[in-house]
Amino acid sequence: MKFAVIEFPGSNCDHDAYHATKHVLGQQAEFVWHKETDLRGADVVVLPGGFSYGDYLRTGAIARFSPVMACVCEFAHAGGPVIGICNGFQVLLEVGLLEGALLRNNRLKFLCEHIHVRVEQTDTPFTSGAVAGQVLTLPIAHGEGNFHASPETLVALEANRQVVFRYCAADGAQTDAANPNGSAHAIAGVCNVERNVVGLMPHPERACESMLGSADGRVVLESVINTFASAGAA
Amino acid sequence: MKTRVFVTLKPSVFDPQGRTIVEALQSMGYGSVRDVRQGKYFELDVAAESADAARSVASEVADKLLANPVIESYRIEVDGDDGS
Repeated sequence: MKFAVIEFPGSNCDHDAYHATKHVLGQQAEFVWHKETDLRGADVVVLPGGFSYGDYLRTGAIARFSPVMACVCEFAHAGGPVIGICNGFQVLLEVGLLEGALLRNNRLKFLCEHIHVRVEQTDTPFTSGAVAGQVLTLPIAHGEGNFHASPETLVALEANRQVVFRYCAADGAQTDAANPNGSAHAIAGVCNVERNVVGLMPHPERACESMLGSADGRVVLESVINTFASAGAA
Repeated sequence: MKTRVFVTLKPSVFDPQGRTIVEALQSMGYGSVRDVRQGKYFELDVAAESADAARSVASEVADKLLANPVIESYRIEVDGDDGS
């Protein structure tokens, strides 16, 4: 299948996503510059991590107006799988494909470490290969990953089972100590109501080879590849 | 027309930067400062015929770009307009 990796000025995990999808998982991958207005026939869209527009104003706030985002929204509304990682998650929230916002980490520190997340939902294209409750070890690298939403939105996200990843301890337990940035409900990633758009702060694309410290992120990318393969076979 | 937009986190949203600043102030002896909320300030030069027209443009760009309604609210001031 073909991955489109969107590049904004300031993206810096675009090559990680390209490497993981193309060289590790053997799929087609293409960079798509943010000024473009065509996703080049991609089957899945990756909004990578980084500091689009230098994080000026708010993270993701200016990138959401890039020309390519109209195509990404159209692709998402048609049911195409879209994943936003870190800054890509921030862009998805700003553009309104996902609900909520990301605030400064509650202790203000830029966090660059491996953490644990629990897979809460397996009926998204990016978690279909995981087991519910599976604990993944993934890297985070962000200063603004503190998930926030109104109390009403949090209730709706939980009721609709839109919380896809939650920070947890190594054994899967949800503890305050395991929540690195103060996120409401320990939310590390969410999906839209239709479940085809997923955003998360941790970096699965940087955890696809054991020599990099963890290969737990592979399940996220392999899920969408297998979802696509089985849809094609059906 | 000079138009000022003040963007602040909603009262319900925790402001870790404001908290850090108020703690610093208190440690400096300013115990009378009970709280600090950090925000953003924008000066817009708007080509407009009236204060109302400038306010309308500022409000539109605040809604679309300057503020994120999920976490922030904003207030607008226009030169020569008392805001009423």
